[in-house]
Amino acid sequence: MIKSRFERGQLNRIRLHVMPTKRFKTFSISLFAGLPLAEDTVTPVALIPFVLRRGTASTPETIAFRERLDELYGAGFGFDVYKRGDSQIIQFRMDVINDRFVSFDKPLLAESLKLLGEVLTDPATESGKLRSKYVNAEKETLRKRMEAIINDKIRYAAERCIEVMCQGDPYRLHALGQRADIPAITAESLTAMYRKWLSEAAFDLYVVGDTTLEEVQALVSDAFRIGEGQSASYVMPSVSKPVNEVRTVVERMDVNQGKLNMGLRVHTAYADDDYPAALLYNGILGGYPHSKLFLNVREKASLAYYAASRLDGHKGICTIQSGIEIANYERATAIIQEQLESMRSGQYSDLELNQTKAMIANHLRELQDSANEMIAYDFNTVLSGKERSADELLRQVQAVSAEQIAAIARKTELDTIYFLRDGKEE
Amino acid sequence: METLTYPGVQETLYREIMSNGLEVVVLPKEGFSKTYATFATRYGSIDNRFAVGDQAPLSVPDGIAHFLEHKMFEEPTGDIFATFASQGASANAYTSFDRTVYLFSATEQIDANLETLIDFVQHPYFTDENVEKEKGIIEQEINMYRDNADWRVYYGLIDALYHVHPIHIDIAGTADSIRQIDKETLYRCYETFYHPSNMFLFVVGGVQPEKVFELVRNNQARKTFEEQGKINRFFDEEPASVKQQRKTAVLPVSLPKCLFGFKEELPKLSPEELLRTEITTKLMLDTLLGSSSPIYHELYDDNLISDSFGHEFNSSPDYAFSIIGGETRNPDELLGRVRAAIEAAKESGLNEQSFERTRRKRIGGYLRLLNSPEAIAGEFTRYRFRGADLFQLVPIFEDITLAEANKRLREHFNWDRMAVSIVAKDPI
Repeated sequence: MIKSRFERGQLNRIRLHVMPTKRFKTFSISLFAGLPLAEDTVTPVALIPFVLRRGTASTPETIAFRERLDELYGAGFGFDVYKRGDSQIIQFRMDVINDRFVSFDKPLLAESLKLLGEVLTDPATESGKLRSKYVNAEKETLRKRMEAIINDKIRYAAERCIEVMCQGDPYRLHALGQRADIPAITAESLTAMYRKWLSEAAFDLYVVGDTTLEEVQALVSDAFRIGEGQSASYVMPSVSKPVNEVRTVVERMDVNQGKLNMGLRVHTAYADDDYPAALLYNGILGGYPHSKLFLNVREKASLAYYAASRLDGHKGICTIQSGIEIANYERATAIIQEQLESMRSGQYSDLELNQTKAMIANHLRELQDSANEMIAYDFNTVLSGKERSADELLRQVQAVSAEQIAAIARKTELDTIYFLRDGKEE
Repeated sequence: METLTYPGVQETLYREIMSNGLEVVVLPKEGFSKTYATFATRYGSIDNRFAVGDQAPLSVPDGIAHFLEHKMFEEPTGDIFATFASQGASANAYTSFDRTVYLFSATEQIDANLETLIDFVQHPYFTDENVEKEKGIIEQEINMYRDNADWRVYYGLIDALYHVHPIHIDIAGTADSIRQIDKETLYRCYETFYHPSNMFLFVVGGVQPEKVFELVRNNQARKTFEEQGKINRFFDEEPASVKQQRKTAVLPVSLPKCLFGFKEELPKLSPEELLRTEITTKLMLDTLLGSSSPIYHELYDDNLISDSFGHEFNSSPDYAFSIIGGETRNPDELLGRVRAAIEAAKESGLNEQSFERTRRKRIGGYLRLLNSPEAIAGEFTRYRFRGADLFQLVPIFEDITLAEANKRLREHFNWDRMAVSIVAKDPI
């Protein structure tokens, strides 16, 4: 099934992962930078990519920087800040078309890596510091992003559920940081944090497209002014926190629909041997439209439009989310708990097991058709230290027995029930 | 079987029309693991009054096309998702203004999954009981959207722009309108719009075209469809003015969301002219208001817009409108500033360099889209239904002149035909 593989290299502190392939019309580039999630650094670290995307030393004005991207046939350029396990990860993404479709006087991959290298290691500065105009404007943007989480009630409820569930754990922190930390940040303090980040974060650069490891190595060596030394590695998250009693939290906001969320501890993470069984547990419970939650909460009881579960493999947490009529809280909670109980007592048919295996297998095969999904899958290896190709995971999933899923179900503990309901209470 | 080659984008398409009128297009993608298929009908939320041939027009409840889409997944043997799951396929569907699309993606058992897709869409199974049951689910879907500020501000604007054209009606309808839906009306809609001659099957991925056509031919030969006359859709005459200049909804949001748009009456254009007009307008909007434009940076620097600021243009033979905006601390100040910038641009015309750069950016964006089988299937169908060809857009992008874009700039922004939609935590 594997059609192409990532070739690995290293350039100073950056690990390189290159997949040469002619299947796509583009070059897809991703740069991951990770640091441990920590209360005192989470906010300034989150701010770094916002400021870096404003301009580089050679194109310090944002408008000129954006025009440069447009010149590269509208190269896609974006970034994301998120958490995986106990790490805070910044990902820069670029997508540029392959030169064979257009006539351009400069090689597009080289120009793109040059630009990304400048963004990362050669930003716009004034007197040796990041430009204060950009720092101030992006502090405001970051604040607005944090406050905007409330606008999407589905996401808000999911994040509140994790926050409640992970009190005292770095995972409670939002990847974008904490609002109260923003005012104290200055161009000076952020520049110091940026330098520390450059010298301490784990850097991984991925390129998928019609190129070679040697070519990328040479281009990165020209474009990235990153210090010598060993690459940093990721810390393994703690996933074994026992549950003493189920916490129930009800919060109020001016909403039409109630959002019912639950957080479960699976006590199994990506690197563990029983991770494939945890994938099946989640799939049978609520990963798909044939799963127990969809069938029982939506199709049988007509209580919800969506009712699903999701496994966060890097933290060993399974979350359940659904949107319900507020008056149906007790009923929906009871039906979901019944599904958890039926998982614990091993009540699932061969059909459910086989359907779920087929869906996971399909997902793992489909990855191969998307450069960005192949990159995301491979990055799991870097994050967890566990070498497991999509092929291997597929074979392991196929081999999981009903008993192995039951073992996951028996050790899985409901930790938190979170309900967002109507009525103002601020 | 007809073969269509597109050297510019390095793609080859195969096409065949079945004897019952069903059009099938296959795009083989060498080296791809997955096959993605969409089965679409020219039937969406705006088709609420119609007749076949010389029948009397029938008016149906709002939201029925979307309701029908939900109900198609139920078969006497149970839920069709389970069948797809057993065959390793993930299936879904969506309803838009003018089409309903059913789809699956799979890496194995492609023949079985294709048969399942065609068969379930060609087999309605509605009972009083299963229709009743669906109402609770869809009511929750409607409630979910009511709490979604982005959805409210977007559809709120379209509602403010249009008096009578059904584009202003929510795709899912309302809790009241869906209560009026019964199985008899569902069957009437089904029989009208799900006739093979009104449908389009698109298959992209690691497939052999001839095998796909053979499968579809055999599948269709097992079914009988009576010949159907032309479907007539009836729309009341839409006034040129907007229905409501300003529409506000109150929801708990961190900052006001503000979208504004201009409604246009495009003269009766051929599909080619309409497409060219649409692409020209999008180029114009992007040059003027896109993330590389001077006005964008001024507004960002003054903290009036955020990264959410954007623009779009939608057109069909019956309607055409733009949507511009995002979140802002001050909707009126934002509107005033954008208005001044647009008026200045009308005087000076667009900057030629910016226009050329934007042209290049949009060609690149278009080519990047062609990496994704999902995007190709969705967009190919959308263009096909308006009589255009997704793979022939680059020559149009290359051909449009600055003068055409300037002409659209002066035509489109008519302040008497502008509406504003705002969602804020307090009434503004």
